[in-house]
Amino acid sequence: MNTLLGNFLRQSGFVLLERHEDGSFGLLSKAPEWFVQFWPAALCDDKFSIQENSPFLENFLVDAEIFWNSGKAGLCESGTWIETNAAGEQIALEARAMHLDGKQVLAIFSPDTQYQEKARVLQTARNSQLQHERLLREIQKKEILLHCIVHDLSQPLSAIRGSFDCLALGNDPESAAKFIELGKHASEQQESMIREILSAFAADLQADLNAERNINSAPDLLSTAKEAASMISPAFSAKGVRLSVIDNNSGQTNWRVRGEETRLRRIFTNLLENALRYTPANSSVTIGVEDEGVSLKAYVDDEGPGLPADLRPAEIFALFGKEKKNGGKAGLGLYFCRVTVERWGGSIGCASLAEIGSRFWFRLPKAPLNGIDSAVKKAEQSKDDRKRMKQENRRRLRILLADDQEDIRVLTTHQLQRGGHEVVVVGDGQAAYEAVQTGNFDIIFLDEEMPVLTGVETVRAIRDFQKGKGVSNIIVAFTGNNTPEDRVRLMGAGFDAVVGKPFRLESLDAFLNDPTDIKSLGSPPDERSRKSGASLEALLQRVGGDEKLLRQMMRTFLRDTPERLEIISKALKRKNGTDLAYYAHALKGSLGIFGAGEAVRHSQSLQDLGRVGDFEESGRVFGLLQEEIAKLQQNLRGYAKEAKAESSAVGKEVQSKAKKAKKRKR
Amino acid sequence: MIQKKICMIGSFAVGKTSLVRRFVYSIYSDIYQTTLGVKVDKKVLRVDSTDVELMLWDIYGEDDFQKMRWSYVRGSSGYLLVADGTRRATLEKALALEQKAREEVGKIPFILLINKSDLVQEWDLDAVLESHFNAKKWTVLRSSAKTGENVEEAFTQLAKKMLSQP
Repeated sequence: MNTLLGNFLRQSGFVLLERHEDGSFGLLSKAPEWFVQFWPAALCDDKFSIQENSPFLENFLVDAEIFWNSGKAGLCESGTWIETNAAGEQIALEARAMHLDGKQVLAIFSPDTQYQEKARVLQTARNSQLQHERLLREIQKKEILLHCIVHDLSQPLSAIRGSFDCLALGNDPESAAKFIELGKHASEQQESMIREILSAFAADLQADLNAERNINSAPDLLSTAKEAASMISPAFSAKGVRLSVIDNNSGQTNWRVRGEETRLRRIFTNLLENALRYTPANSSVTIGVEDEGVSLKAYVDDEGPGLPADLRPAEIFALFGKEKKNGGKAGLGLYFCRVTVERWGGSIGCASLAEIGSRFWFRLPKAPLNGIDSAVKKAEQSKDDRKRMKQENRRRLRILLADDQEDIRVLTTHQLQRGGHEVVVVGDGQAAYEAVQTGNFDIIFLDEEMPVLTGVETVRAIRDFQKGKGVSNIIVAFTGNNTPEDRVRLMGAGFDAVVGKPFRLESLDAFLNDPTDIKSLGSPPDERSRKSGASLEALLQRVGGDEKLLRQMMRTFLRDTPERLEIISKALKRKNGTDLAYYAHALKGSLGIFGAGEAVRHSQSLQDLGRVGDFEESGRVFGLLQEEIAKLQQNLRGYAKEAKAESSAVGKEVQSKAKKAKKRKR
Repeated sequence: MIQKKICMIGSFAVGKTSLVRRFVYSIYSDIYQTTLGVKVDKKVLRVDSTDVELMLWDIYGEDDFQKMRWSYVRGSSGYLLVADGTRRATLEKALALEQKAREEVGKIPFILLINKSDLVQEWDLDAVLESHFNAKKWTVLRSSAKTGENVEEAFTQLAKKMLSQP
């Protein structure tokens, strides 16, 4: 066969095969090596079966047959297929059916170079397509997220607006307090959502990662769990759900994990919020930690309905992966937990419990120990051992703490727990009263000014409830109104003791060592801190030498104060004396922690002026207060830096001083 | 021995080749390598004490660059319709391909595999969509060539379906 096309095909690398009438094939051209390895019979037989070794060709020959029989001009193409040779190499092949010189011809060739080029172009095109799809999905997700955020953020706003509407309708102080609390709760909810969003999508991820790598700041899993439980306990009390932390790992002292404390606490908070959402009233939620060797595991068990059967654990932790029937938020909380835990090299999961409820757990690698850490660990261990021995020698108290201010709650709870006491924390008087009705407490601490029920109203309600039951708790008032007249007034209302804010944690500790000695409580203002805050050493003394706690308090103060000042400023503009007095009082409590005597005095004046409705003088005092707070903020920022450098040295010194002072007292 | 032809049908990059490689060679690679053309592999599977030689036609995924040739499906006893759980569009494509397959080769057994279950947290599908398939009485399995989840199961189930055909 010497047609022009035939020659061209041969020169182009095609193997030409003639199809015989019996369906077999014979070579019309030389068979190259790649052909022989698949059809060796071609070399020795004039007629051989081409389809025998190739299911693909067998299939193509059906089409080829139709083409040949049709007598049409042109070609019938097979498309590319891959054959694998004995050495495991994959060879791309293509076939054409055609008529040549009156014969039915099958042309096969290996389009190696073209194939590689085609595959490369297709790979690039598809990779681009996939990348494009991914980007589109990201954009879509962000749009949905934006929609969810707008939707979820608008819910608390509706509650806030509703509270304002209700406040505008009437002037009943009790209802007003309730609506203010409702509005506050909604705004806190909104703030928490914003924090979640920022955490999940923060641009400064790398900076966070660097912080996480700092092993010296590795958080303690157990104490973070306790802190989170303590912070969220008001919400549990409100729903009537018992919240407990299992701490029966007496031999274990190192609970440090890889991660960062604030976000670890948020993981616990998210899991607890999730548990609370699904747990019915009068049931329990339990937090526990376990040592698994190279990693530590934390879990939150609830007594809710368990996980939906049609939902996989991995889906629950997906973005927007909430259980749709029960609503919830934008589905960010658990997503945040997963992303954060995985970023720290851990894992997260959930499962239904055998009888009732579900368990949400996460596992984090233990913080690595280098030489310095080992030394720190040893020191801490012996410190903890001594502490434990001391605690075992004294009575463990069950304490109820009611305070509407987060910083006071955190500070006091921390100190009480450090003393080995069990603390139930609530955020208002009503919750405290309800807690007393259902639980037994050795001592109750009540803030004087709280929403729903004030401290005085609460103590009266508790005394009335306990009358005739043979029970009478020691009830202590926390108050910023600490004049001799105030003390007489509060003792007359039913309190056993009055603690003026700011108070020293060591005096609180001394009181708890012997609760019958109520004289040990007393807190003269720190003379050294009249101007704009105590020294770093004095501040550390206030928190029992706990630099971590101090840093946390500083962060909370620096974070919350601008907002509080803004609220006070608005109350002044609107001439709202109640709000002015309330928020000035709240601010006073925080300022007291940092020994800012002058600022505390201005807050007290502002509170008094708010009560009597003197807005002209209030404006002037507010200006002075702002100046004092600005100085304090500046000092605290400086301390934060200083604390980093000096913290361990000063902390140890202060702790040692505190211990010596205690010994002397004994 | 009974021989059965099975085609892998679906959009590009849904994991058809990976599923075959997992099933036949028990290997998996995370690197996406697009399939150009058709590759036929064989594996003998024992189904209810019967040995069946499966001829697995791994057909390139359809998109704007490569159109499906339905002649490849000719002679198939069944097919696996594969979609990628992380890309909703591939499921829509699977729906269209199933319809076309019915037109081209008639009603033959098939199983819908929603692949990449190892990435379930990134899935772009919801329960409603899955219940839609269940309502159609399709056999739907979530699979992962990476973990091997439901890979053997899918081929076995399909083989059983094919063998039960008259």
